[in-house]
Amino acid sequence: MLDLEQRWELIDKIAKRTIKFGKYRHTLKDAIAEITVKPLTGIPIAIAVLYGFWAFFVAFAGFFTDGFLVKLFDMHWLPWLQEVFPAGKESWLYYIFVGDPLADNCFEAFGMLTSGLFVVIGVVLPAIVAFYLVLIVLEDSGYLPRLAVLIDTVLHKIGLHGYAIVPSILSLGCNVPACTACRILETKKQRFIMRTILAIFIPCGAQLGIMLKVIPETVGWVILYLLAGYFILGFILSRIVPGESPELLLDIPSYQRPTFSNVGRKLWVRTSSFFTTAIPFVLLGVIIINVLHLTGVIDWLATGLGPLLSGWFGVPKETVGALIVAFLRKDLAVAQLSAIEMTKYQMVTSVVLVSIYFPCIATFVMLLKEGGVKGFLGSLAALVATVFLYGGLLHLIWILLGVA
Amino acid sequence: MKNKFASVYFSIFGLIVLSLGIAELIIGIAGRSFTWGILEISGEFSLWKGIILFFVGFFYLSSVKNLNEIHQLAKNVMASIMLWIIAGMQIFAMITESIPGGEEEGWINTWEGFLSAYSPPYIPALILLPFSLVTVYYVYAREK
Amino acid sequence: MRILLMGHPNVGKSAVFNRLTGARVTESNYPGTTVDYTKGRVRIEGDSFEIIDVPGAFSLEPKDKAEEVAVKMLEENKEAVAICVIDASKMERGLYLALQVIEKGYPVVIALNMWDVAQDKNIEIDVEELEDILTVPVVPVTAISGEGIRELALRIKEASLVKIEKIIEKAGN
Ligand SMILES: Nc1nc2c(ncn2[C@@H]2O[C@H](COP(=O)(O)OP(=O)(O)OP(=O)(O)O)[C@@H](O)[C@H]2O)c(=O)[nH]1
Ligand SMILES: [Mg+2]
Repeated sequence: MLDLEQRWELIDKIAKRTIKFGKYRHTLKDAIAEITVKPLTGIPIAIAVLYGFWAFFVAFAGFFTDGFLVKLFDMHWLPWLQEVFPAGKESWLYYIFVGDPLADNCFEAFGMLTSGLFVVIGVVLPAIVAFYLVLIVLEDSGYLPRLAVLIDTVLHKIGLHGYAIVPSILSLGCNVPACTACRILETKKQRFIMRTILAIFIPCGAQLGIMLKVIPETVGWVILYLLAGYFILGFILSRIVPGESPELLLDIPSYQRPTFSNVGRKLWVRTSSFFTTAIPFVLLGVIIINVLHLTGVIDWLATGLGPLLSGWFGVPKETVGALIVAFLRKDLAVAQLSAIEMTKYQMVTSVVLVSIYFPCIATFVMLLKEGGVKGFLGSLAALVATVFLYGGLLHLIWILLGVA
Repeated sequence: MKNKFASVYFSIFGLIVLSLGIAELIIGIAGRSFTWGILEISGEFSLWKGIILFFVGFFYLSSVKNLNEIHQLAKNVMASIMLWIIAGMQIFAMITESIPGGEEEGWINTWEGFLSAYSPPYIPALILLPFSLVTVYYVYAREK
Repeated sequence: MRILLMGHPNVGKSAVFNRLTGARVTESNYPGTTVDYTKGRVRIEGDSFEIIDVPGAFSLEPKDKAEEVAVKMLEENKEAVAICVIDASKMERGLYLALQVIEKGYPVVIALNMWDVAQDKNIEIDVEELEDILTVPVVPVTAISGEGIRELALRIKEASLVKIEKIIEKAGN
């Protein structure tokens, strides 16, 4: 075996004999590549890119959901189903599959074939397609690692190198692959911190889509509060978790024009995996919650947990159902919240709670798989503490503002 | 000669963009809306659009000195791209809003409804859009 | 026979894998896209071989979990042939890992991927000379368009073991 120096020496010799560097002018592309990573110019550019991301998402999802699918579900599907469903309106079958016989929209009916399908296909599908589309363009163009360099200075403060932002941004699509992407971080400590804070604080595309539909005016504040939590918890964990967080010299690829075939292929792969993983969970979630309602478990829990929910978090006790569903699917949980009567501020708190309280079951499994039992229990402890303290903090803020 | 013209052009244009950006920013913070002729500043995200426009103007202004130099030009091109992001998304939103019918109506919008989605007033970035295309011309002419 | 795709992150291993097998492994323009291995099958002149897409690694001394997988794949498949994918526009860096793999005693084929990028940058690589020095097949490839993929597949069987001393000797004069 050669040692490091000998090997480089050999490579030098080979290169001298085989490579000829022709004239190369600094092109416009190179110059642009430079200014997108310099903070002074890069940060405004990043703001513009993220604005474009969000604006596209809102317009695209709005087009399909508000433009067509709401109409389809509320004016055609729901009345038709209410009429032709074979079981009687009082039967438990009707309750589980169609839901409230008096409902005039699919958000409130809460049956498996009404709300379940509406949430998945009517609201979440357009949202995640829009999200993935932009995300894939960011991935393929080469902008993602540049964003990482820009955010590096901030992330450094929480003991992560800038590259950690890549899993975080991926987790805006879905937290599950993001947990796996944490493997590119070097130490156990870094991987643990990253997995934990992204599973707790980063809402996935499905959840963002439904939040946009349910709380369009306040979704910005919710995201801001979650982001703040992401940094705060990261900061705290980096202080208390033992281990090192070494530097990483990041290799930034050059910009490339994304190809249609690759964007199309990735979009297809991810969307179809959404179909196979999300739909069964959402439908199952509706069934479980309806059965729990029918058997009185929810009422029992609501009474039991009511004081905690309304006293500590300041949200109505009916949110207990949503919190149970949140364990299966966050999007469904937010949809369920929308049917509960509460103030705008309570709504913000309960959406935040649904977000930070237990990650969905798929992410849960990933935490266990990637972190092992010890890492998993650590994440869990951080999670429980966060829910109580950070969730309670929001209630305190409302009290101080005099709106709770 | 061409260089000189471009510098003067982008100095003036940059100043206009910068002031519109500041105006949008202030109106966004105040949460008001404002219409003047075909120009309208209102709606969601005015604050963010204002911040971005402000930087677009700033980039233009800082690029005018020695514009022919590649790094200066890059700033100019990037400013235009940022402007196109805002304007492009606005146009995309207009398109997506123009096609479906309103609530309680048919699936597809009426012809009048369709057209009215594209009528003025427009946001600043949209009005500024045509003037930013000079960047494309300049890059193209320079390559030759 | 098993075939392993080895190389630095973001040099286009997954792209080569997809072109060879018709699979749909994720390709993205940032290092660290692939963090776990994927198996696939490729047909070359009527024979079917197993081929594995491996996470990118800078060297055979792993720094993170993804690189650990790469090194583990190499160690678990002692009989495998390695396709060392190198970014032709940054060839020297890529050769480092390729030499390490050769030293470990694996038969190697070198895929000089991103050939289009190297040409855009006016980098001329004397492929014949390189082949002569390394005494392994060297194939220019542009994985996104598929150019060179066929030749790469056909030349896999030419991969043979080389002694590093021989390379040193050849490079020396
Ligand atoms: N111009 C050009 N781009 C290429 C070529 N091959 C791959 N790419 C692009 O390079 C990027 C990286 O390709 P991948 O196949 O994901 O690279 P990888 O080696 O698997 O990377 P890791 O999984 O991160 O180790 C993608 O954006 C590809 O589209 C090529 O021959 N020419
Ligand atoms: Mg890969």
